[in-house]
Amino acid sequence: MKKTLEVLGMVCPFPLVEAKKVMEEMTSGDELVINFDCTQATESLPRWAAEAGHTVTNFEQLSEASWTITVKKK
Amino acid sequence: MSQMILTGLLCGALLGFVMQRGRFCLTGGFRDMYIAKDNRMFYALLIAIAVQSIGVYTLIQLGIVEFSAGVFPWLAIIIGSFIFGIGIVLAGGCATGTWYRAGEGLLGSWIALFGYMVMSAMMKSGPLASVYNSFQAVQTPINSMAETTGISVWVFIALFVVIVIGIVVRELRKPKVMIPTMKPKRTGLAHLLFEKRWHPFFTAVLVGLIALLAWPLSEATGRMFGLGVTTPSANILQYLVTGDQAVINWGVFLVLGIFLGSFIAAKASNEFRFRMPDAKTSIKSFIGGNLMGFGASLAGGCSIGNGLVMTAMMTWQGWVSLVFIILGTWTASYFIFVRPQTKKSAATATTVKTA
Repeated sequence: MKKTLEVLGMVCPFPLVEAKKVMEEMTSGDELVINFDCTQATESLPRWAAEAGHTVTNFEQLSEASWTITVKKK
Repeated sequence: MSQMILTGLLCGALLGFVMQRGRFCLTGGFRDMYIAKDNRMFYALLIAIAVQSIGVYTLIQLGIVEFSAGVFPWLAIIIGSFIFGIGIVLAGGCATGTWYRAGEGLLGSWIALFGYMVMSAMMKSGPLASVYNSFQAVQTPINSMAETTGISVWVFIALFVVIVIGIVVRELRKPKVMIPTMKPKRTGLAHLLFEKRWHPFFTAVLVGLIALLAWPLSEATGRMFGLGVTTPSANILQYLVTGDQAVINWGVFLVLGIFLGSFIAAKASNEFRFRMPDAKTSIKSFIGGNLMGFGASLAGGCSIGNGLVMTAMMTWQGWVSLVFIILGTWTASYFIFVRPQTKKSAATATTVKTA
């Protein structure tokens, strides 16, 4: 299952807080796509994913100050 | 005047650039100590303090830099720092953080900055100056830790540096987690400057060096201090409404430089865009900015002036302020991040839920 979380306009740490919340309700192997525009989340989101043991399957910049990251739940 | 403009802007631009690229956010760092049990950014701050401390006291020893610690208005420092800590969580960034996020195009930070500048000016030369003065009256005469204890300041610095080295070694020895990165689109210098993720400890060393550089540059123009954000931010507004050139100093160009440097870094990294927050975030930013201005003015410094500079100078003001700023961010984080979560999970606990 794939789920998309739009956190555009949200400042840190809310993209991460939201992502954690949604992730809790997902099952192993599910993918969560997070679209965000808070610069500091380019550091906090991949770090959280790595430390929690999830897999990052996609991480790229879409346009000026706009990014997407896909995290697969462990 | 031209020297003041040039070196102030340059030093500020360096700081803004480094903080933007290094994602050097003290608010996030203090908050994460509590909500994520992550001390990385706090350790980075300690590194920056250590670098600056060794450097500035060497320059003092050589007679290049002058510094007087002054008095220790402890009540103002404690209350002001705590309120400042609450404010930076609401504003989504400390004073410097707000300046550099404004340079990234975050309009919420522009709102916070406005509240911060107005409140600081009100505290320094406006109707709230009497509040400031009555708090300042509660003081002890000695601010320098070396003077209070009669121990050489170098003993304090040596002890602190040993602790910091210990922390860094322990942190770097920890098994590394591979942090996923974006596929590089650039090469060479452009990649290193505008794309690569900077290690927080590397950024911290640069911040410490810039904080050190600020001392001789600022003192050459007659302003006898290092990095400072709050008074200069108030000075900008004071100048704009009174036209009085006497309030213009090196610090004014420093803070304008932070904005400029961050803008350059963000623009070159494709990270600049005007971003408008929703109404709720905007109001929070405005309240946060006001609390930040009130607290930092009362405490005679923000997370930079007190937390980075006065700590490096080994003063009671710096360390007491740092502790209460952190306690303030934790208090605000409890109400904004922790309590809503625990309330929610308490509500769902009645329905059977598998983890």
